[in-house]
Amino acid sequence: MLLGILTLVLFALPLGYAWRAADNDTRLQILTEDSQRLAEVFNRKGPAGLADFINERVGLQIAGERILLLTDAARRPLAGNLPAWPAGVPEAPGRYTRPIELDHRPTMVTLVRADLPGGYKLLVGRDVARLAPVMTRFWYGLAAAIAVLLVSGAVGGILIRRALLSRIHSIRQTVSAIMQGELSHRLPTGGRSDELNTLSLTINRMLEQIEQLVHGVANVSNAIAHDLRTPLTELRSRLEELSLTRPPPAEAFAEVDAAVADVDRVISIFNALLRLAEIDTGMRRSGFVEVDLGELCARAVEFYGPAAEVKEITLTCDDQAGSPHASGDPLLLAQAVNNLIDNALKYTLPGGTVTVSTMRPGGGSVGIVVADTGPGMTAAQRARATDRFFRGDASRGTPGVGLGLSLVEAVARLHGGTLDLADRVPGLAARIIFPGNP
Amino acid sequence: MKVLLVEDNERVTRFVTKGLQEAGHTADHADNGRDGLFLAASEHYDVIIMDRMLPGNIDGLSLISALRQANNRTPILILSALADVDERIKGLRAGGDDYLTKPFAFGELLARLDALGRRTRQDSTLTQLEVADLRMDLLSRKVMRGTRQILLQPREFKLLEYLMRHAGQVVTRTMLLENVWDYHFDPQTNVVDVHISKLRQKIEPEPERSLLRTVRNAGYMLSAQ
Repeated sequence: MLLGILTLVLFALPLGYAWRAADNDTRLQILTEDSQRLAEVFNRKGPAGLADFINERVGLQIAGERILLLTDAARRPLAGNLPAWPAGVPEAPGRYTRPIELDHRPTMVTLVRADLPGGYKLLVGRDVARLAPVMTRFWYGLAAAIAVLLVSGAVGGILIRRALLSRIHSIRQTVSAIMQGELSHRLPTGGRSDELNTLSLTINRMLEQIEQLVHGVANVSNAIAHDLRTPLTELRSRLEELSLTRPPPAEAFAEVDAAVADVDRVISIFNALLRLAEIDTGMRRSGFVEVDLGELCARAVEFYGPAAEVKEITLTCDDQAGSPHASGDPLLLAQAVNNLIDNALKYTLPGGTVTVSTMRPGGGSVGIVVADTGPGMTAAQRARATDRFFRGDASRGTPGVGLGLSLVEAVARLHGGTLDLADRVPGLAARIIFPGNP
Repeated sequence: MKVLLVEDNERVTRFVTKGLQEAGHTADHADNGRDGLFLAASEHYDVIIMDRMLPGNIDGLSLISALRQANNRTPILILSALADVDERIKGLRAGGDDYLTKPFAFGELLARLDALGRRTRQDSTLTQLEVADLRMDLLSRKVMRGTRQILLQPREFKLLEYLMRHAGQVVTRTMLLENVWDYHFDPQTNVVDVHISKLRQKIEPEPERSLLRTVRNAGYMLSAQ
């Protein structure tokens, strides 16, 4: 609002000045032409003729013709509308804009003084104050413009403020609902594409992520509770039974060994969870180095080779992409690939194959694929496969705690990549894709 | 071996001390950093077991740094509940020689202590390793059992080399994973056992003259008898 007024004033000032200057020039031009015409009359008809002409002009009382005076060499008035030679007129002939004494008051005039032959002097001029009403009207106009601007600005401001306040109010309501635990609430977003809307959309995306995380945490807590409770229950009943029945030493020691195995199972679940948490915090990103994915695969395949042989599964490494490099944590990447191979070997039947290959899926990204000829997964299973503690029906009775793919997924995410599972008919292809190095 | 245990938990102390004595070692104990530093600096030990979190002003890591600054080279095994990879690196940087996270199996602790205690005596400039009639030439990378040459894959060679360097000691699966494959995680399955049995088939064609034994609840041991 203030800015608008300031702009208007700043715009008006040079305009007013330019207008005034132009007006002054025009007036001087007219006066000069006037005095030349009068000089011509003097040349043709002499001093008496000019005096008559001037008196005739004064008689017409042309509006604004304030100064018209012919004097002799001694500056005695011969004709015109001034009673005497005014004080303040410069000595030399020429064009002036300056104050002179008129009716005993200094008045701003534009003036042309011409010296005629025989010492006669001619003054033609106009009162600048004559212009004042025009200038006044200009300033009035400007003031009116400012007033209109003020009013419309105020009204507009109030309207905008009210609209904004109502939107902020609804945002505040949503936020307080969310703070009370109703995480499904979202900020209102209209079809408009203004800044507030864009901000709301961004905040909504953030809320989406927070909701997912919170649900994830809740799910994990439930899953932990369930998965730790089972071995802990077994452990407890084993120890209680031991204490109640007091069996002979040989039997008792076998039970104690079994109890230690139960504890080890709890510890391994615990370690896997801690490791996931460690990865999820993203702390390890500081230790990233260049990793040769081809070599990583070859080493993992070599590590699992004998185990695959025992199960009569053909495990091969196929470095199709020719040792692609990715920036990452070599230990975590190795663990992720090993987990995938471990899984593949677990589900593939004797006589099947597991192939580990590198790839460049385009766009500069690189990846590792572990493909098996096992039973594969249904679409529903694939969707849930990376959930913590999820175990497919096929895995009941096999060792493991159901955190393997969660860890692979967390490692991929830490490296800015993704884990996707695709049906191969028959079998499953698990791919980790990383953004490659430029 | 003479072992110093710096640990404030009474039950863990009793468990470890008893186990060490049964294995034929002598163990001193300090339950805070100040006493630990005093003992470590005044007596000679073959190996020190150090808990990271100790009561009092001196924690495990600063105790290790202090010892190393005083030019004390006693091998130190750090025992800690902090399992993060970063914590492990921190511990080794401070001057620790090995890192074991709580909770731990006693077999694992004992095997690692043996490896540490032996390391000071073992010469790394060896060119030949020998266990009974099994010989390994580290320069030509040739392995002989009696008069018969055994052909090994590079990783099998590394595995056997590690076992032979620690002949007469128990070597755990985790130690093999870390030192032979450089994998600092638990692969959950018995992959190491499969590697061992494959190696066994190569170095022991006759099972009655077995050198590589499985130690129950602990790991493996390569020895002459």
